[in-house]
Amino acid sequence: MPARSGQLGRKLQDPTLQGLMLLAPAVLAYAVFAFYPMIDVIQLSFMKWNGLNADKHWVGLDNYRYVLHDDPVFWVALKNTLIWTFLSVIFPPLIGFGLALGLNQNIPGRSPLRALFYMPVIIAPIAVATMWRWMFDPFFGLFNSLLSAAGWPNLIQDWLGDRNVALYSVFIAYVWEVAGFSMVLFLAGLQGVSQTLVEAARIDGAGRLQLFRYVTLPALRPTITIVLILSLINSLKAFDIVYGMTGGGPAQSTQMLAMWAYTQAMQLGDFGRGSAISVVLLLITVAIVIPYLRWTLKRQEAYQ
Amino acid sequence: MSGVASPFRQAGAERVDPLLVALWIALIIVAVVWIAPFIFIIFTSLKSNATVMGTGAFSPPTSLAWENFTNAWRRGDFGTTVVNSTIITIIKVPLGLMISAMAAYSLSRIQIWGHKVVFLAIVFGTMIPFQVMLAPIFKQVNSFGLINTYVGIILPYLAFGVPYQVFILHGFFKEVPKELSEAALIDGASHFTVFRRIFLPVSLPVLAALLILDFVATWNEFAMALVILQDPDRWTLPLGLMSFQSQFARDYGQLNAAIVMTVLPAAIVYLIFQRYFVSGLTSGAVKE
Repeated sequence: MPARSGQLGRKLQDPTLQGLMLLAPAVLAYAVFAFYPMIDVIQLSFMKWNGLNADKHWVGLDNYRYVLHDDPVFWVALKNTLIWTFLSVIFPPLIGFGLALGLNQNIPGRSPLRALFYMPVIIAPIAVATMWRWMFDPFFGLFNSLLSAAGWPNLIQDWLGDRNVALYSVFIAYVWEVAGFSMVLFLAGLQGVSQTLVEAARIDGAGRLQLFRYVTLPALRPTITIVLILSLINSLKAFDIVYGMTGGGPAQSTQMLAMWAYTQAMQLGDFGRGSAISVVLLLITVAIVIPYLRWTLKRQEAYQ
Repeated sequence: MSGVASPFRQAGAERVDPLLVALWIALIIVAVVWIAPFIFIIFTSLKSNATVMGTGAFSPPTSLAWENFTNAWRRGDFGTTVVNSTIITIIKVPLGLMISAMAAYSLSRIQIWGHKVVFLAIVFGTMIPFQVMLAPIFKQVNSFGLINTYVGIILPYLAFGVPYQVFILHGFFKEVPKELSEAALIDGASHFTVFRRIFLPVSLPVLAALLILDFVATWNEFAMALVILQDPDRWTLPLGLMSFQSQFARDYGQLNAAIVMTVLPAAIVYLIFQRYFVSGLTSGAVKE
């Protein structure tokens, strides 16, 4: 270490200063480009502004009044977001759980199977969207080809063009994309199930179902909670896949809050209304996240 | 993997378990469904447009139309987008990991006044979907005059990488035994030295896992890039693919070739570093 001279050298020996210097870059980046925008979005939601001009003025609750009262798309987007979230906490975790239970057994090909199921998770969501949009192509896509080959031409759909079907078509692609994520978390949880406990229960004559009910499931409780919460939070982020597959159409039938906020602000040039939608979504998120956060911190403290 | 020697048996059992065989068959069927999209895309990427329209979706290509790849590369301007993605990823990922590790060390090992509040504020960020805040982020980047620049996208990427990485590394650093660092500190080493000489080396496995996760996340990011990189000369790979989809929707072979080229890098990285993915994902989330 080179000898430091004078006051600077002495100051640098102060542990608090050292700590602040180590902390500063990350906290600065986070504060300016993540935390401040969270605060700013609230402020913007009370403004009328197109995002570029100097003309920006306070309009009070006007944006909220418009969004909640006069904007029919908002309620469609809210409904779709709720349906999407509800489906997202049920199907991908259930499939992931089933896969994990299977892959945790003594069967051949566990590693390649695990790699395969996880593969879609690492593909760019926009690429997943593009893949599936092509598979749903009404004329040359995979689904309708299979249906006509199987002799069920009456099941052929315009998967992404029919407003009663489109949301669920996009969701099928989403399940393929994210189920592997739940699977990996469940696999890790299953590996944490105490083998001594399993052995002891076996010796006591517990059957397969009893073992599952009284040993495996209770041990997985924390994992289940984490998977459900993460699935929920991730479902609110569903942006790329909707943008890439339908852009919210047809007739707003796949519109979601996150994308509607983007559309209002960035496409229609109304930052105030866009921000008001964001604030509503943020409030929903925070209402879900705070209990989880408290639970996590409690668990962390329990370790120490 | 253990168990390959005598599969389909419960631990210690002599006989093949029929339930495990049934389970295995079910898994294979699901696996076929899972792999089908990949095969379909690869097949289509090698067919000429006439073949796409003339044959069934699942029939293998008879003559390989490799020109789909060269044409898609040129028309989708992959040359530009790949370079942009590479520059952004190569700068962002190591830099982000470095500042996160420094912050995590500081928060877990040096008792600065208010460190708990800072930590809470950062952890809060792990829970916020930043897609929600595209407009205020755009405003912030724009106010620095950084729209359509590498710096303009790297700074928010850094900001949104910090929460998860700090959270994971903080948990890890907390568990490093005190004895390891205290002797050095008493001998007069600075926290910089202790961090660089002791904490970075012991956390290499976690850092490797986070590095790979962050590489894939940055490489794949779409929404923020969509807002900040509006000039096609600055587009990243996902933006290029998206525009390709709408521009050349009728060239099915080329479209699928473009998908294959976009998916391939992440798929290769994943297959090479699989092991670290799993540990990286689970070291923070599920710890017993």
